[in-house]
Amino acid sequence: MRRPESWLLNWLDDRTGFRVIRRHLLDEPLPAGTGWWFTLGSVLLFSLGVQVVTGIALALYYAPTPDHAWDSVRYVMTEVRGGGFLRGLHHWGASVIVVAALAHLVRVVFFGSYKKPRELNWIVGLVLLHVILAFGLTGYLLPWDQRAYWATVVTINISKLSPLVGGFVAELLRGGPDIGALTLTRWYTVHVLVLPPVLAVLVLVHLYLMRRQGISGPAKKKPGPSEMFFPTQAARDLVMAVLVGALLAALAWKGAPALEPPADPTSSNYIPRPEWYFLGLFQLLKYFPGRLEVIGALVVPGLVMTFLALLPWIDRARSREWRVRRAVLGLFTAGLAAVATLTTLGAMDRPPAGDGVWSVRELAGVSLIETDTRCTRCHSPDGVAAPVEAGRIGRSMDWLRAHVADPEVIAPGIREAPTTNQNDTAAIQSALARMRSTTPPPVDAPTAHVLTLVNRSCLGCHVIDGSGGHDGPELSHAGSKLDAATIERRVINPLDVKPDAQMPAFAGKLSPEDIRAIASWLATRK
Amino acid sequence: MSVRLENRRSALAKIVTTGMGLITAGLAGLVGLVAAPRAKGPDRRWRRAISIFDLPASAPMTVVLAERHADGWYETRKESVVFIDREGSGYRALSSTCAHLGCRVRWRDSTSQFVCPCHGGTYDREGNVVSGPPPRGLDRLAVRVNPDTSEIEVEL
Repeated sequence: MRRPESWLLNWLDDRTGFRVIRRHLLDEPLPAGTGWWFTLGSVLLFSLGVQVVTGIALALYYAPTPDHAWDSVRYVMTEVRGGGFLRGLHHWGASVIVVAALAHLVRVVFFGSYKKPRELNWIVGLVLLHVILAFGLTGYLLPWDQRAYWATVVTINISKLSPLVGGFVAELLRGGPDIGALTLTRWYTVHVLVLPPVLAVLVLVHLYLMRRQGISGPAKKKPGPSEMFFPTQAARDLVMAVLVGALLAALAWKGAPALEPPADPTSSNYIPRPEWYFLGLFQLLKYFPGRLEVIGALVVPGLVMTFLALLPWIDRARSREWRVRRAVLGLFTAGLAAVATLTTLGAMDRPPAGDGVWSVRELAGVSLIETDTRCTRCHSPDGVAAPVEAGRIGRSMDWLRAHVADPEVIAPGIREAPTTNQNDTAAIQSALARMRSTTPPPVDAPTAHVLTLVNRSCLGCHVIDGSGGHDGPELSHAGSKLDAATIERRVINPLDVKPDAQMPAFAGKLSPEDIRAIASWLATRK
Repeated sequence: MSVRLENRRSALAKIVTTGMGLITAGLAGLVGLVAAPRAKGPDRRWRRAISIFDLPASAPMTVVLAERHADGWYETRKESVVFIDREGSGYRALSSTCAHLGCRVRWRDSTSQFVCPCHGGTYDREGNVVSGPPPRGLDRLAVRVNPDTSEIEVEL
């Protein structure tokens, strides 16, 4: 008796003819010696598939607006089950695709596979490389963090350099007078609606042409019968897919790079750097000052791409063997070395991001946020607002400044507005600015208490660690001149120590214990 | 008969091709019309920056100017950063946007220069290029002092 599933398959085959299609797809004759080098295209196809699936999953949660994009990505990272892993796969997947595409390109050049009759497929491949880079560029903006914002500023300004159409292209990319909501929706649309069908069509054309002309095979023809794609070469493809998949999973398990602070066009302490595969271009731009910048930004990359596109017509010898193509391969290798060198130099160029030490004012602010009832009344695990946590502050600095200076603005009438002290407000604002990107160092409770006292009572007139008022002398190194006892006497009543002192007496304003604590702390500032 | 049929076929073929071409062109035109940017920014106007009494002598003052800003459907506050400094008996305002590729430059006290964090361009206190890739100096903004309030105003 016939098995029911073969009956079903026959029924389907009668109506669809799928067996012919399957045979056509799998029974591709390959030249003898086709081996592991010819799996790179399949690796690309596999990685593109991963990007499609992870991209769809990410789109379930992503909101492409400036006020929600960053929060929605943070939500994916912290709240969605497996969200960090998912974003890791998508992030590292992009890098894996760029590496696989370059490896594929290098393989094609070294095997001379672009030669007649495969010139057109070589060009389609180069266009695909640009589509892949366009995916990388448009996807980069979507998290709407500092890295995303500033990379896009530079990209759009580079596009302005194009002759004649530069200004129009830049406007088209921005969608409005500034980089903002209209830019984000535009890039999102291109990333998820325009590029995927373009990629799909080009991949199909690439595969169709590959099948029409057949796999090129080893550079030097090997004797022996041709072999079918299925199952031997398909097994090699599978092994490579598993290896690349495992690498990708390992990278994603380590996690996607942390989300940086939300995009802030006014930020002047952020040091923008592009994704690694654009570092070579980034470095190149530094060598062309002034009016020459168009050379680094467009002319050199344009010439490189033109050279690559014309390779089948430059390298015209019929043989694909290395020994007759030394000049072309030498030039190509030199180009690869130049790109690698530029990328390495670009990666090494990391200007110092300012000192990592938190100032007194910032630490005092952190202490107030964590302990002061004016903050914790609402910002607590059971409160009406979420606890304030480093790296999870999505509001703009402008909003935060207004909120801290006058909480009533945010929730009018709902609760009694807390009384604010100017120095406390300044401390909380500077702490919030810092906590957007970094976690504050741990400070023990007594020190935290002293720091809030110093911030409130001293920084109005004295500078410590670069912040404070200018009416009195700087106290950053007070301990190198005065001991604790002298400082304590000065704080209690300055006239006791110095008859012409302008400073007010703090006896009665602060408790004797607090004054002693401040004096002891200042004495440690050598 | 067959010649007439052939003529009819080729005329129909032309009509179909032209029709489909027109439909495609119409759709492309519509998408182009919608996608074309309307990049006209708000007009320049004078904005209050800082009181002349608050301006330090030692270094340029970094001032953030904020205003309500329509970003498509999204209403936000646009913040612009400018550097205000003394110049002779008057004042000078410099844009903080690097003339190279638009990154935000900052003032560095140790070298008394503006430095761009992206590609390393540097400018002196007057905004002239000292080194690096910028093709020109930092943009100078029109500046005036309001005699009633003693505030420096910048045209932006």
